[in-house]
Amino acid sequence: MSQSQETTSPRVWAIRLVGLVLLGYTFFMTFTVPLGPGIEDVRVNRTELTEDGAVYEVEILGHGTHFTTSEPRVFLRRGDNVKSATAIKAANDESLKCRIRLPKFVPAASFDVFVNGKQDGTISYANGFFATGLEAVAKAKFPSNPAILANLEAADLDFHFPFQPNIMESIRNLMLHVPMWFTMFLLMGISFAQSIRTLRVGGDLDRDQRAVAAVKVGLWFGVLGLLTGSLWARFTWGAWWVDDPQLNGAFVTVMVYAGYLVLRGSIQDAKLRSRLSAVYNLFGFCLLVVLLMVLPRFTESLHPGKGGNPAFSSYDLDSALRAAFYPAVLGWMILGTWMYRLQLRIEQTRERIAEAQLTRTNMPLALLFVTPASTSSLESVFMASGKMPVVVGVAVIILAGLGLWWVRTARTLQRLSEEENTLNGTHNA
Amino acid sequence: MRETWFLFRHFWKADVRAQHSIAGLVLFAIATVYAAYQVVQGRPEPETWNALAWIILLFTAFNGVSRTLEEDRSEVLAYLRTTVQPLHFMLARTLHNVVVLTGLACLVVFFMGLLLGWAKLDGMRIAGFVGGMALTAVALGTTLTLLALIAARAGAGFGMTAVLGLPLVLPVVLVSTTLGSELMSGVLLADTWHNFAFLGALAAGSGVFGAVLFPYLWRAS
Repeated sequence: MSQSQETTSPRVWAIRLVGLVLLGYTFFMTFTVPLGPGIEDVRVNRTELTEDGAVYEVEILGHGTHFTTSEPRVFLRRGDNVKSATAIKAANDESLKCRIRLPKFVPAASFDVFVNGKQDGTISYANGFFATGLEAVAKAKFPSNPAILANLEAADLDFHFPFQPNIMESIRNLMLHVPMWFTMFLLMGISFAQSIRTLRVGGDLDRDQRAVAAVKVGLWFGVLGLLTGSLWARFTWGAWWVDDPQLNGAFVTVMVYAGYLVLRGSIQDAKLRSRLSAVYNLFGFCLLVVLLMVLPRFTESLHPGKGGNPAFSSYDLDSALRAAFYPAVLGWMILGTWMYRLQLRIEQTRERIAEAQLTRTNMPLALLFVTPASTSSLESVFMASGKMPVVVGVAVIILAGLGLWWVRTARTLQRLSEEENTLNGTHNA
Repeated sequence: MRETWFLFRHFWKADVRAQHSIAGLVLFAIATVYAAYQVVQGRPEPETWNALAWIILLFTAFNGVSRTLEEDRSEVLAYLRTTVQPLHFMLARTLHNVVVLTGLACLVVFFMGLLLGWAKLDGMRIAGFVGGMALTAVALGTTLTLLALIAARAGAGFGMTAVLGLPLVLPVVLVSTTLGSELMSGVLLADTWHNFAFLGALAAGSGVFGAVLFPYLWRAS
């Protein structure tokens, strides 16, 4: 290796080691912590309308449930009105059949479905049952029957992630997709700080190198965030891209920083380049804050944590998720700053070589946009087993993306140091 | 302040004297509205009308800020660099762009009304829409002035302004299209005032930003 290479202090290596351990913990948690039981779907198989009401044959599909051993009870609920189901029969652990008899006049057309059992506790599906063929009258009430709600079994569950309808297993992506953006924020923040210092001294090439290194790594995380988000969106919202302030903000932010690199490419004079791109960078970072943290809160958004919610609410994040999510964020951030130091070394070595050769070589910006094939059979694969394949897909995208980055970086550093050595060799000779 | 005012008048005079530059912009705006009129064949749906109005304003704004004045010759700039403070230059330039863009916005909306009708706008809502467009022009002017100066400094022209500027003006476009479609769908002017406030805040914010950052572009090397 090159003799001019900086040595990294043991403390930094210790921090990096902690980061790697945290990431190992993250992947372990992401793939091994079980998901709590929940109701995946409620289906009405048969409706029989009679003179004084209706009888429905209902099938309840659970995920991670134990219907055969849990002795489940099923009831519908709307406000104070509760109606229990009869003829409950568990086909298997994740499928339950029951019969619901309703009078002709019901207090509401749709009901929340609850299942209570020894092993699973109480699980529910909001607005899971729709009383077709009956008349909803506000005055109608089910006769009060306190026995239904008495003696509900409490769940005695192991450590688990919360079940949410539609999201299901893919909630594990929280530890993979979300920290991509947090890491990008951190790196763009580093770049912002370096740009301010660049301007303070009226154009500083060293600070400028730091700023551009941070942007390049941050962009990589941003693109991975877009790709993983796109995959996750396809299987929760049904489309690869939806018109949403948060998503558009993320896309525009990535474009702004790509514009930053384009601007740099068009200026030959290094000092002028450091100043102009620093000015643009400051502007861009403020836009990032406006687009990703301010504007989405004023508008409706599908994205959690937005649309009026300043942060994750208690519905989104429980203690199990916290235990996995916060270490994950820290681990990804440490990895991001490590990558930033490596990218910085590339920039610095390249500059030294350029100085030695007195020529500048422009590196083309290679942004890899992968559009996954969209075939119906492939999509059904992703929907299987509670959308667990979505998590695998997201993990594969991130690992492939970061793996690509590390291979490229290792090769570039190797090549540059060889180049530098030959240059120094010829100079010395 | 007097210096800013003097510089503004100086830019204005240069613009009026050159004539072809500003006339070209007016022609561009009118011709684009006319092209839109030919494409949609008559009275478009309110959504289309709204989209066309903002897109035309956006393109006109990019053209407006990224043209080079007679005063941008390097000799003149070298002279100005030694005689005026960058803050005054920036304020005067921004003011000049804002005035030109506001005029163009009024022109665009007038010709939109003339050729394509007023869609579902009526009475006070027309006034509100014109006001919104003018305010958008102000916000675009403050944002794009700095970017056009960066692009000019980098030695690149219109293309670079568009690459750098389009993502950055997106918040403005987002707010103003929302304002437009709300007015189209019959919302009272008093109920959309927050959009005006947003636009004003964005304009003020980017104006301050430009004034703070421009001195770093102003140095000779």
